[in-house]
Amino acid sequence: MSSTNLFKTTVIQHLEELPQTIQTKLYEAPATCLSIFRLLPAVAKFFITSMVFYERPVSLSQLDKWCKPHARNRQIELLQRLKALHLILDVNNGSHITLNPTFRKNFRDCLTGVQSVNAFGNICTTPDKHHVDVSFLDKFASQKWETILHFMVGTELVAAPSSSVLSLLKLGGLMEGPGNSPKNLAITNKGFQFLLQDSNTQIWTLLLQYLNLTKDLNMDPVDVLNFIFILGSLELGKSYTVSHLSATQVSLLADLKDYGLVYQRTDSSSRFYPTRLATTLTSESSALKSASTSMDQVIESASTDNDLSSGQGGVASSTHGSIIIETNFKVYAYTNSPLEIAVLNLFVHLKTRFANMVCGQLTRESVRSALQNGITAEQLIKFLETHAHPQMRVLAKEKLDKKIEFDTNNNINTAGGAPGTKSDSNITQHKLEILPPTVVDQIKLWQLELDRIQTFEGYLFKDFVSQQEFEVLNKYAMDIGVLLWSDKIKKRFFVTKKGIDQVADYANRKIPSR
Amino acid sequence: MPTATKGVLVQCDPSIRALILQIDSKAPGIVLDELDETHLLIKQDQVMNVKNELNKLLSKNIYNPFDEQ
Repeated sequence: MSSTNLFKTTVIQHLEELPQTIQTKLYEAPATCLSIFRLLPAVAKFFITSMVFYERPVSLSQLDKWCKPHARNRQIELLQRLKALHLILDVNNGSHITLNPTFRKNFRDCLTGVQSVNAFGNICTTPDKHHVDVSFLDKFASQKWETILHFMVGTELVAAPSSSVLSLLKLGGLMEGPGNSPKNLAITNKGFQFLLQDSNTQIWTLLLQYLNLTKDLNMDPVDVLNFIFILGSLELGKSYTVSHLSATQVSLLADLKDYGLVYQRTDSSSRFYPTRLATTLTSESSALKSASTSMDQVIESASTDNDLSSGQGGVASSTHGSIIIETNFKVYAYTNSPLEIAVLNLFVHLKTRFANMVCGQLTRESVRSALQNGITAEQLIKFLETHAHPQMRVLAKEKLDKKIEFDTNNNINTAGGAPGTKSDSNITQHKLEILPPTVVDQIKLWQLELDRIQTFEGYLFKDFVSQQEFEVLNKYAMDIGVLLWSDKIKKRFFVTKKGIDQVADYANRKIPSR
Repeated sequence: MPTATKGVLVQCDPSIRALILQIDSKAPGIVLDELDETHLLIKQDQVMNVKNELNKLLSKNIYNPFDEQ
């Protein structure tokens, strides 16, 4: 199911696919080294910090001692990824590894603070006549970014984003339509899933599209990536000079302004401010806001807009929630916002539409098609919960109160667990069930049903003459991380397609053919 | 000398394994080897076929609310 990984392509994966020459050029910038280090998983960070001040190559057997034996597979996978990044290099015919010398030098400089002065951008020392504060930057960033999201779902009264944003959305397959005129573009299935992601993932998705474009725009990808990584290490609320940027980076700056990553008062302004969207690019802390909150805002503002224009502020304007689900899987949504209806249509079989509501039903087919598009059951349940009608909440609360009352009166615990225990612990065990439990369980079951079988291509090794022969090959396959299944008693094991050549080579060397 | 057989490893729960064996008994030549309770080795070009057949078998027992209308 390739659609599941639609937005999982991270910048690290993008970097892995770059040719080595470009990677090495990238490592010449200290800010890039630091940013890449920050993006790596914890174990990789451990390996790199262990080697960064150690001049000589590290032998692989030494490396094995750092990891517990049962984590060998993950260690091998990690080393392969680091090698793909060319952060570590093989020496002595692969028996030793060493850090990429360029990376080592620049990363050391970062740590010890001896890098050149403008490696992390030049802070403007003169005070700004038109100084802006952090809250202004936050507002600017979210306004710019939400313009894009609003546009994608076709909220009216929103000015269309710039043409560069439009072409990115189209290239990324998030919107489609003839020509580049904003009116002709319509959101795609992939675009809806894009809306469900958190903003950090969304920004990287667009930036990676941008990187793919750099070749056509005659921009140097190294320059672009370096600038993006520098942005990630800038300080929020400080202004930086434009003058030390290269021509490529200046034109990039104009585009980033459209996404709300940087703020510049005018195009010719000599300084720019990074926004929170930019400074959280390479950090693990969450960016501006999570997916659900921005979704809420989009929906909220969409529904209030419509209420104001149609003059009927009754149902949706006072609350966010508008969806009612019954135990028989019927769904009623009091909304006329095109976004909410479109999102519902992803996983609900909609039947009728009225002026202020839509009716539909959750069916196996409708939920399955959403799951097949890469939306998870948790996402669906979370969405329904956060957008549940206030009446659903009231009912759930009443039910919960009744349960607790019943329990305390009879001194039992109907929420499960041992009966007759302390009465105050009972209260904590009941959960507020906004959605009917049958529906929640069924959605989860439908997800489980999708992956009833897992398949792996590869080769089955069998007909071993001796147990010892089997053990030798089995252990080797396990060590290089290609073993999927093995049966000691029947002396058979299964290796992946990727590993067959190595295992076959090893077999020919170790086992004398007769 | 050990031999290597090309194929697709299928990992599933025992009930699904039984269903796959049932599919195989109707149209032999799909399953190459029964490895254990939760693993089967099947022919590479039959993977899609098995998945489709499984879907058909599993869908038989699904209630469709729109059938009644």
